[in-house]
Amino acid sequence: MERRNFLKMAGIGAITMGTAPAAFSATVCDKDVAFDKSYDVVIIGSGFAGLSAAIEAKRNGAKDVVIFEKLSMFGGNSAINGGLFAAPNTPMQAREGVNDSIETMVQDQLTAGRGIADEALLRHVATNAAEALQLTIEAGAEYHPYLQQLGGHSVARTYQTSVSCGAGITQPLLKMARKEGAVTQNRAKFEGFILNANNQVVGVKIREGYYFGREDSGKVINVKANRGVIMATGGFAQNIKLRMAQDPTLNHEVGCTNVEGSTGEGMLAMFKLGAVPVHLAHIQSGPWASPDEGGFGYVSNYSIYNFPHSVAIHCATGKRFMNEIADRKTRADAELGCRDQDGNPLPPIMITSYEHASQHPNCKKVLKYNVGWKFDSLEQIAERFNVPLTALEEQITEYNGYVKAGKDPQFGKIMDMAKDKYIKAPYTVVRLWPKAHYCQGGVQVNVNAEVLDSMSGEHIKGLYAAGEVTGGVHGVSRLGSCSIPECMVMGMTAGRNVMKG
Amino acid sequence: MKLVKYFALAAIVLSASTGAYAKDIKPWHDGFKCKDCHDQGLKSFPSDQSCLQCHDVDDLADATKRGGDEEWQNPHNNLHYGKELPCIECHSEHQKPETYQPLCLDCHTFKYEKFKG
Ligand SMILES: Cc1cc2nc3c(=O)[nH]c(=O)nc-3n(C[C@H](O)[C@H](O)[C@H](O)COP(=O)(O)OP(=O)(O)OC[C@H]3O[C@@H](n4cnc5c(N)ncnc54)[C@H](O)[C@@H]3O)c2cc1C
Repeated sequence: MERRNFLKMAGIGAITMGTAPAAFSATVCDKDVAFDKSYDVVIIGSGFAGLSAAIEAKRNGAKDVVIFEKLSMFGGNSAINGGLFAAPNTPMQAREGVNDSIETMVQDQLTAGRGIADEALLRHVATNAAEALQLTIEAGAEYHPYLQQLGGHSVARTYQTSVSCGAGITQPLLKMARKEGAVTQNRAKFEGFILNANNQVVGVKIREGYYFGREDSGKVINVKANRGVIMATGGFAQNIKLRMAQDPTLNHEVGCTNVEGSTGEGMLAMFKLGAVPVHLAHIQSGPWASPDEGGFGYVSNYSIYNFPHSVAIHCATGKRFMNEIADRKTRADAELGCRDQDGNPLPPIMITSYEHASQHPNCKKVLKYNVGWKFDSLEQIAERFNVPLTALEEQITEYNGYVKAGKDPQFGKIMDMAKDKYIKAPYTVVRLWPKAHYCQGGVQVNVNAEVLDSMSGEHIKGLYAAGEVTGGVHGVSRLGSCSIPECMVMGMTAGRNVMKG
Repeated sequence: MKLVKYFALAAIVLSASTGAYAKDIKPWHDGFKCKDCHDQGLKSFPSDQSCLQCHDVDDLADATKRGGDEEWQNPHNNLHYGKELPCIECHSEHQKPETYQPLCLDCHTFKYEKFKG
């Protein structure tokens, strides 16, 4: 297939060109269609949200459940994700003596949401996050034996799969969904809703035999959904036109961490039906991404793990320029400000003691695949990245003073996780540059995962949505590791409620 | 190995029949006719099952097995999709190898030195 031709733009890594969504069939009335297939529950999208919805729908009595996935592979962004899962009041927190609560997690997220997050949804997710974590463990997911404290979280509450990837969850969930009896069909693209005379969603149009990027491939069939349709189609960060319509700075020069299927037409079809658009302009860039590899690669998880005990340095000044564990928006904005005299991007570097960096399995990968490097001295680093040496030396000495004092007067970083972790030789270094990563915006849902109608405020009958396709949950900036709990909990909620409706 | 046997056999059987190709194919598939692979009509890609007429997923996974911390970098049994990734996500018969690359390289800088296309 002719795709993924890498373009190196201005040394800022690989970009994937978004494909314009196809012309959609208008919503049609069930009187005008003959149904080709029929299921109790129809789920669109095979990430965390779709898989957990399928499992719960089956466990709540659905006779037959189908997951339609337009790509050739199952799992969406969830299968390439970092495997970081935040939850309060977990067994590992009890073991490590971390004092956390549902309320603390909600408050951390409200702060990053900068006043516009949906408190009820955040509380619903935080309340049920530990149960969702348990479902993944029941399915066979395995986690590293330690917790991490990600940017914006006030305590360590983040689990990570032992393979450091969301596939450590999607693969077991996919198996479990199939074992429960759910049908999974790939190369099957959702192309519109079928309503009855009462404006209730009773089915969908599906293009079977679909090859991504070839919009007229395959054949459209009509699929009946006896209990309801659950939309779990993920975000739209790969749809450059749509994301630029919201935020013109996210042009084709900005890399993206998402799978190519994240183009948003499922969300757009719900808007056409009357769903409430929320926070579409809030598209998050990942401040831990590297310009030296495509997508999420290996560096992202490496940086996420190491930021608490590392310094990020502006190459032109040799100085820190941000709190390394501030929320994502704060950091991405600060990184984008790192420029040379001509205003061109000058990716900053993150310096970590090799002793600490090597505690995470990605360190080995980063060095092996030449997307991060090991140095014996600051001189070597200064020379390689063209950083003023004296300034850099002073900065490291100063920062090590903050480690000792447990306080960072320069940027106010929480130094708990940096305790005793001085920056000392040998060092490892990676380069940083933000990539478009996550769509906070989408359709509005309530705590029952029902999609709300923009005119009536009532829920649209027969229609549920879960995961990144929904909007407003996180407000301005989602905290890291808070999407998995959201997708899982809301998917489970949708799967249960579709059987009640 | 089982795989090679399939190959050889298929090649002998097929080269006996006529073979006028509209497109170049890889030399190791010499003798194949369009329809041998294009099981969904000549204008469509071969189905995701097509290659499996001759190739066995478990054999392939075995042939490209990796050890230690590279265990999950086996393209035929990988971390993200296990053994389910359709062949055409990485392989192509009719395109020049310079014009496409294995799926992994979207995000990783792996080197698959034995990758032939
Ligand atoms: C690289 C990366 C790393 C991440 N790391 C983390 C992390 O560690 N922790 C965390 O909490 N969050 C993380 N996130 C965010 C999180 O992974 C996503 O928000 C989450 O996976 C979304 O899950 P989902 O089920 O909503 O959608 P997805 O997993 O994206 O699945 C949606 C699926 O729907 C399919 N689809 C779309 N349109 C159609 C259509 N018209 N017809 C049929 N199918 C369709 C897509 O192809 C896709 O497979 C990460 C995201 C990325 C990209």
